[in-house]
Amino acid sequence: MARAEALPRILPRTATRRPGPRRPWRAIALFVGPTLALYLAVVVYPILVTFYNSFHTLRMDLGMQYEFVGLEHFREILGSDEVFWKAAGNSLTWGLVAPLIDIPLAFVLALTLYARVPFAKFFRTVWFTPVLMSYPVVGVIWLWVYNYDWGMANLLLRAVGLGAYAQAWLASPATALPALILVTTWMFAGFNMVVLLAAIHAIPVEYLEAARVDGASGWRRTLHIIVPLVRPTLVNLAILDFIGKMKQFALVWVMTRGGPMWGTETVATYVIKRAFEWKTLDLGYPSAIAVLWFAIIFGLSYGLTRLLQRREALQF
Amino acid sequence: MRRLRRWLLLVPVLAYTAFSAGPYLWTAAMSLRTTDEIYRSHYGLPIPAHWEKYHAAWTQFGYATYFRNSAIVSVASVLMVTVLGAMAGFAFGRSRYAFPLREPLFLLIFLSLMFPPQIMLLALFQILVQYRLFNTLTGLVLVYVATELPLTIYLLRAFFAQIPQELEEAARIDGCGDWTMFWRVMFPMALPAVATTVILNFIYFWNEFLYAVVFITQQRIRTLPLAIQFLVSDQYFDIGMLATGLMIATLPVLALYVFLSEWFVKGMTAGAIKG
Repeated sequence: MARAEALPRILPRTATRRPGPRRPWRAIALFVGPTLALYLAVVVYPILVTFYNSFHTLRMDLGMQYEFVGLEHFREILGSDEVFWKAAGNSLTWGLVAPLIDIPLAFVLALTLYARVPFAKFFRTVWFTPVLMSYPVVGVIWLWVYNYDWGMANLLLRAVGLGAYAQAWLASPATALPALILVTTWMFAGFNMVVLLAAIHAIPVEYLEAARVDGASGWRRTLHIIVPLVRPTLVNLAILDFIGKMKQFALVWVMTRGGPMWGTETVATYVIKRAFEWKTLDLGYPSAIAVLWFAIIFGLSYGLTRLLQRREALQF
Repeated sequence: MRRLRRWLLLVPVLAYTAFSAGPYLWTAAMSLRTTDEIYRSHYGLPIPAHWEKYHAAWTQFGYATYFRNSAIVSVASVLMVTVLGAMAGFAFGRSRYAFPLREPLFLLIFLSLMFPPQIMLLALFQILVQYRLFNTLTGLVLVYVATELPLTIYLLRAFFAQIPQELEEAARIDGCGDWTMFWRVMFPMALPAVATTVILNFIYFWNEFLYAVVFITQQRIRTLPLAIQFLVSDQYFDIGMLATGLMIATLPVLALYVFLSEWFVKGMTAGAIKG
């Protein structure tokens, strides 16, 4: 830079600079520097601190006094913390069940719109809407839907003569988690549908036409042409759905606070409770939970990706 | 026959539409009715419509404040993440700016999309307290920008990487330095891609709850999602007013969505499509 600067500017700059290993360092620093600084300060550094914290007891009431405890927290979490296991079970259930409901439902909805239902564009617009709302908003609306006396859910059951099944959905440990899973389905089915619809529309029409000429029924065209071709999208959406549900916090916080009887406690809500609501006032223990959960999410996401994509490779 | 079948498909489609839109429409109806009216019949139509409830929510129930906080945080965060993300995406995407370890660094940034927020949350709480940024909107904005940078960089890098080399050279021959070239030539070209990230990020910031609930404990700087969570416990029985609040929190986004639905769909799904 500087050398080129010193020459009289007769020639355009490119002519004086030999192409080669000289890097525009100043520009790189300018473009990447601010991002890197923020990323290091707000993402990398806190992660390192969390790892460090997980080996210590860290008393908030004593002005953040550190005391080294080694792997003690991890031993306690895995060995004797029943709430953690309950929460991990709930999060895993949510993470594995939700994609199994969300993705097939979204796929069926996408196929319906692909079959040129009248007003398809209008329906697509409406179905996508729930994903634009915040969890607290969705949570409050669904608290009302599940209300025992006048909620929509029970109203509907009573209307079709199944009034015997009407119940306080969020009050019993058996139904609370399924009720919350239904809420996330309501939120994300339209979103997944839109992505899948785009994937289906990207399939060359000739393939489907050729199959039709060969006499393949609509059902078989779906199974043998559409499904294999949108499979990467299906897998991708399932993994994203899984990760999202493993992090689930806000909906639970607003609707049930993890109750009844830890029936909807997730790992994320448990971490927050241990850090700020329990009287232990120790940040080390919840940090250890976070580290553990981080490892589990990463391992499972990687495993699922490998598993689902391996099957794909075997198909061809 | 085929036409008939297409119309028959409307039956499940309408059923799903009722499920999808019903709860929200019900809330919208309740937002225009007084709580007394609602307790008398939960599914009545909003006749007469009590539009004054919106005014009451705005002035007496603090929604003006919460709305302002949400707007400040969302707009500031979007501006910052767009500028930083576009610059970084540009440097990560063009061969001219290759520097040692650039690809592993990008991979690390990209991987952090999968990190559960808890892995940073508690330490961030400590750090924010330490640097007097706890309970400030500034602290919240810094955290928001950092958490949305990875996806923004990822999306914009893909766009900048495919701009032809000739264009870059042409700009340089015209005497543009790196800075001028970026803002005068490259950034304007990337505006469609930038628009999708703006929408995606804005909705994320507008609706974010976890960081807000941990980092903000004072009422006067609560954002809308936070306010709603507190109002649920404070005025559980004032359903009518709560419904009005929910509408205030969602209408700005939904109004924009009605006008720009294609952009919204593109923006929101940008992170989900394998590119």
